[in-house]
Amino acid sequence: MSPMITINRQAWDLMVAHAEATFPNECCGAMLGNIDGDVKSVTQAVAIENSYTGAQGARYELRPEDLLEADRKARAAGLDLIGIFHSHPDCDSYFSKTDLENSCPWYSFVVLSIKGGKFDHANSFLPNAEQTDAPKEELIWPKS
Amino acid sequence: MAKVLIPTPLRQFADKKDSVELTGATVAEVLGALTTQFPSLKKQLFTDEGKLRSFVNVYLNDEDIRYLQKDATPVAATDTLSIVPSIAGGAQ
Ligand SMILES: [Zn+2]
Repeated sequence: MSPMITINRQAWDLMVAHAEATFPNECCGAMLGNIDGDVKSVTQAVAIENSYTGAQGARYELRPEDLLEADRKARAAGLDLIGIFHSHPDCDSYFSKTDLENSCPWYSFVVLSIKGGKFDHANSFLPNAEQTDAPKEELIWPKS
Repeated sequence: MAKVLIPTPLRQFADKKDSVELTGATVAEVLGALTTQFPSLKKQLFTDEGKLRSFVNVYLNDEDIRYLQKDATPVAATDTLSIVPSIAGGAQ
């Protein structure tokens, strides 16, 4: 079976709301849930402050200590930190060269395309350890 | 024994454990004990030259060891080490 990530309603609503509220800047955050073989299930999302020091229209950065806090929150809730999300304001959902060069092969990376302030589409990527490629994995979110 | 918290995706290389108790007087000794016990973790955390990978940060409790004494930071039995990646990006 190929890798797949599903996001539940509560987590997805938080991710989209955070991405839309942060528009026209990029947002970022963590996804918590559990992993069963090749299937990841996200049941909780955590908004994290974009700590990039320049213009944030096309850049984001996570403070490691914020990620550590998210990991602690996950452990306390009996969940795992399984992914990272960020938005691309007025851009499609792809994994850019900047995304690749600053990625970590341990997590799923969900990219939300936000156009004109509204959610448009999303994809999930799995960057490799060499930071040279990030194949897509199947992403399932609640459609309303 | 100091405690090392293992990030979810690395537990497959550590007998599925979410934390490991290890002996060591410094960060380097504890991480050495970790990769001796779980050799396949070494490639995840260290380069072939034996340096921590660029995206790997190590926290002693709440402090980044980069701002302490790096590898040589003393570790007490009550301390917890966490492995935290650096992550950034952008559409352009
Ligand atoms: Zn991006």
